[in-house]
Amino acid sequence: MTSRGTPSRFLRSVLQNGVGRYICQLKRISIIFSKNAQSSLGVREFIEEGVVDYAKKNPGTVVYVSPQSCRIPKIVAEYLNGNVKEEIVTSKTPAQISELLTKLTDQSGLDIIRIRKPFHTDSPSIQGQWHPFTNRPPSVGPIRPQKQDPQ
Amino acid sequence: MVCVCYHSNADGLGHDRILFLVPCRTGLAVATFCQKINMASGYILNRGALTLGIHCQRVCRNVSLSQVREKKRWMKTYTFLMAKKLKLEGPPPPTPRSQQPHWDYHAEVQAFGTRLHENFSQELLKTAFINPCYLKAEQQKRQELGVDSETTALVLKDNIQLSEKGASFTQSFINDWSRANFPNVPTDGVESIKRYLTSTSVVTSVARNLGIEDLTMSAECPVPDDVLCSTFMAVIGALQESSGAERAGFFLRDFLITQLIGKDLFELWTVVNPMGLLVEELTKRNIPLPEPRLIRSAGASTVLPLYIVGLYSDKKLLAQGPGETLIAAEEEAAYVALRKLYGYTENRRPFDFSSQQQQQHQQPIIQSISN
Repeated sequence: MTSRGTPSRFLRSVLQNGVGRYICQLKRISIIFSKNAQSSLGVREFIEEGVVDYAKKNPGTVVYVSPQSCRIPKIVAEYLNGNVKEEIVTSKTPAQISELLTKLTDQSGLDIIRIRKPFHTDSPSIQGQWHPFTNRPPSVGPIRPQKQDPQ
Repeated sequence: MVCVCYHSNADGLGHDRILFLVPCRTGLAVATFCQKINMASGYILNRGALTLGIHCQRVCRNVSLSQVREKKRWMKTYTFLMAKKLKLEGPPPPTPRSQQPHWDYHAEVQAFGTRLHENFSQELLKTAFINPCYLKAEQQKRQELGVDSETTALVLKDNIQLSEKGASFTQSFINDWSRANFPNVPTDGVESIKRYLTSTSVVTSVARNLGIEDLTMSAECPVPDDVLCSTFMAVIGALQESSGAERAGFFLRDFLITQLIGKDLFELWTVVNPMGLLVEELTKRNIPLPEPRLIRSAGASTVLPLYIVGLYSDKKLLAQGPGETLIAAEEEAAYVALRKLYGYTENRRPFDFSSQQQQQHQQPIIQSISN
């Protein structure tokens, strides 16, 4: 499939974030893990080591830690624009999990799809829309087909 | 001699093995007899399987099962039923975030303030989220449940006062800000900018993207737009009370006024007769009246004609604008002239959104350059 068929969007931020002040877009994160399953060993270690540090570093994010009987531990991130993102952390090490959390914190919550251009401007053209007189020397009279030289 | 006839059932059930031990003379006869038995038993067993099959189907319709290990026979019917139910009834009504798992109201409110880098007083902020419609619904619910209203009174203040305060502050702040930033724009233009910024659609989109919707206490579940608007105003009122008008002003500038970026003045302000307005403005400033002239034209007889009209006043070119007809071009030229007069052109200096600290840092640098 060519890339034209895939969903795409333009580069933008939520609510002109960063123009006035920067707001961390991650509002809530819940870490769901099992107390005794092998697959959530790394999550348990992370909760012992790093989750308090993470919460202290990001006071704007509410962190919920919920032990449930589940085979697949996961991290559910909710963003300010209402998007919810689930990441599965089966048998990952604490270092990998903290890396993943940093990634989730830095994201804006917009859909991760193809971005059409790596730049954005509100005024796409400086010289204005093209018309037949763009970049023409000012001359009197309308445009006419050029006169044939009488030979 | 002994003939051994080892027979296993043709139906594959394999339960009964028939072992005949007969003298040799009767061997042939026994063999034919055996075949007959085989056919008969096959017939009976076939019938049995058929009836069992019918029976099974009848049972399966009532989502019961003839169990086979690790084979979820009920799943197909169940999913079909659920799909049918979804089609008939539609998706279930949305539940508010506060009724879903993982919700701690106090922590959420605290995080809300910290996230926006503002110092809210927690009580005021919590009051700001309580709408009168929520109080009414809650009281009604309690009455229906038969809770005594005197022993367990609902001691909550609603946000009407805060909302009014915030709304009036917002209006005055936006007015002052646009007066300061666009000194040449007339009162009508400022009014329309203000109307755009405080319109329901803009305010609700801002409130939704700031996470106010989750915290809002409202009677209905997808929070109605007007309730969300009044909650946003109440949050501004709470901010003004807890950390002063200056901080509230910065809050408004950073979240509401940034919505003006990329907007044209005449998108917000519908002017019916731009030429008339231009004449008015020019007479106010004692400039000779504009004189439209056709500067250039191309393709007049085609489906895509182009005319460029210039407005001259006192033999100087005020503005020029393109259009498909002469009238449209003249109107466009008038718009361009008005934009130039009001200082709202596309290439104007962008608004200053730098924070307080940055402004303080910047001042000495500018001084050192000027020195």
